Amino acid sequence: MSSRLIELRDVTLGYDKRWLLGPVNLAVERGQFWVILGPNGSGKTTLLKTMLNLLPPLAGRVTSDKNGVTFGYVPQSKGFDHIFPVSVYEITSMGRYCRVPMGKRLSKEDKKIIESSLERVDIIHLKNRAFRSLSGGEKQRALLARAIVGEPDVLVLDEPTAFVDIKGEGRMMELVKNIQPDNNLAVLMVSHFLDVASGFADHIVLMDKENNFFQAGEKSKVLESNSLDKLFGVEQVMDRARNE
Amino acid sequence: MTPLGEFINGYFLWRDPMIVGAVTGAICGFLGVYVALARMIFVSAALTQISSFGVALSFYLQRVELVLFSSLVGPFALSLILTVIAAGFFALKREFSRISNEGVIAFGFLTASGAVIVLGDRIARGAHEVASILFGSAVVVAPMDIYIVPGVAAIAFIIHLVCFKDFIFVSFDVESARLFRYPIRLLNALLLSSIAVVVAVATRALGALPVFALLTLPALTSLYLSERLKLVFLLSVIIGVLSAILGYFFSFILSIPTGASITLCASLFFVVGLVWREAGMGSKPLGTDYLFKWN
Repeated sequence: MSSRLIELRDVTLGYDKRWLLGPVNLAVERGQFWVILGPNGSGKTTLLKTMLNLLPPLAGRVTSDKNGVTFGYVPQSKGFDHIFPVSVYEITSMGRYCRVPMGKRLSKEDKKIIESSLERVDIIHLKNRAFRSLSGGEKQRALLARAIVGEPDVLVLDEPTAFVDIKGEGRMMELVKNIQPDNNLAVLMVSHFLDVASGFADHIVLMDKENNFFQAGEKSKVLESNSLDKLFGVEQVMDRARNE
Repeated sequence: MTPLGEFINGYFLWRDPMIVGAVTGAICGFLGVYVALARMIFVSAALTQISSFGVALSFYLQRVELVLFSSLVGPFALSLILTVIAAGFFALKREFSRISNEGVIAFGFLTASGAVIVLGDRIARGAHEVASILFGSAVVVAPMDIYIVPGVAAIAFIIHLVCFKDFIFVSFDVESARLFRYPIRLLNALLLSSIAVVVAVATRALGALPVFALLTLPALTSLYLSERLKLVFLLSVIIGVLSAILGYFFSFILSIPTGASITLCASLFFVVGLVWREAGMGSKPLGTDYLFKWN
């Protein structure tokens, strides 16, 4: 299998036939840790959905590895409808459905993998708890277990620390960082926080649809430019990030 | 003779309707959990009303003697066709539409409701026929319903047992399902079609009001009582069956309309469930061993 998992070639981002940003070029390879940074409403989620083939580009091509790419997805937990009485075990098992055909039940092997994923993120003791009764940090860890249980090639995280306290944020990011090397995973994370990006990513996307601004590449090169100042308008933020 | 004695002695009067009612209670209780979880209770209201419109339209067309379409205009066939078409329409993806799904469903509900009343006015014996469609007068069921209703319910149960995990997944997290290349439209269409067919068959047998009540109240009660998904489905089926059986019982001994009686029994379960939880007896939801904590 080649190391290039997702490639965007001259892609114009948008939805409902409305132009948003572009054309942009980007290639995600196995083992890379990408963080997509930008202000609110900058088009980060649109880029992510385009990369995952959930949203067709207005122009250009999105290609993925010819052997197929499996995604593990950590959405924002607030996006779930809490009327559902699903347990942590049930929600984690949903991540395995990419390996279980429709109409088939989970096998014993699947169940073992689900248990080990819960152990991996240290919430095995919560497996029978209702998902909606968990704290913000616990919910994110349950969603991380769900994302890795399908043995993905790409781990996708949509603002995973948005509703988590500082302690929970650190724990979540450490878990992601520890899980990544195991299967030479590519990580694709949307975040608002520059410190998260600078601390964990090796590649960064900076984007803002308002100014048709898009820059992607190795962290050191992106942070060396004056892009951050352009994007966020805060010089001190840049200094802090460079020092990390 | 005591009311219970009268009831038991008259079993030949209520046996068949009660079987049909109990089976309807079971399948509607089961499907109602999906309806409540997907927050589409108004869909079931619209479908029952559209199904009623199909029955009323059939009566009307038979009255004007459209002989060429006599097989098509049978109450069952017409109700089924219209309900399935409506379910398919509601299942359509309208992400970027200017009209919300709720708006489309409200349009279906209101149009069907108005049409049932207008057609009722045109049917000979109209008021009685329409009242039985809307509110249920299932004291007597058609002989075929004893086979049709359980047959349709059994098929619906089998489909849902086979695709249980897939229906739950698509209802709970459609974005991940899309990422896993799940056939979301197919599953949604299958889910809504199964609800539509059950609604069409049950509405003709029992009436719109009790079918809507059985699709809604047992599921809401069980969702209130339990934290376990599978237990919610089981409780909802049990409450649906008990609501139908008790509804027939009270209808018989108190001489009240059967559809209304079933509806009130289902409401009673909801109120009892509410009081049970709120009075503190339900501080631990069924199926859990920890205190419930909302975040």
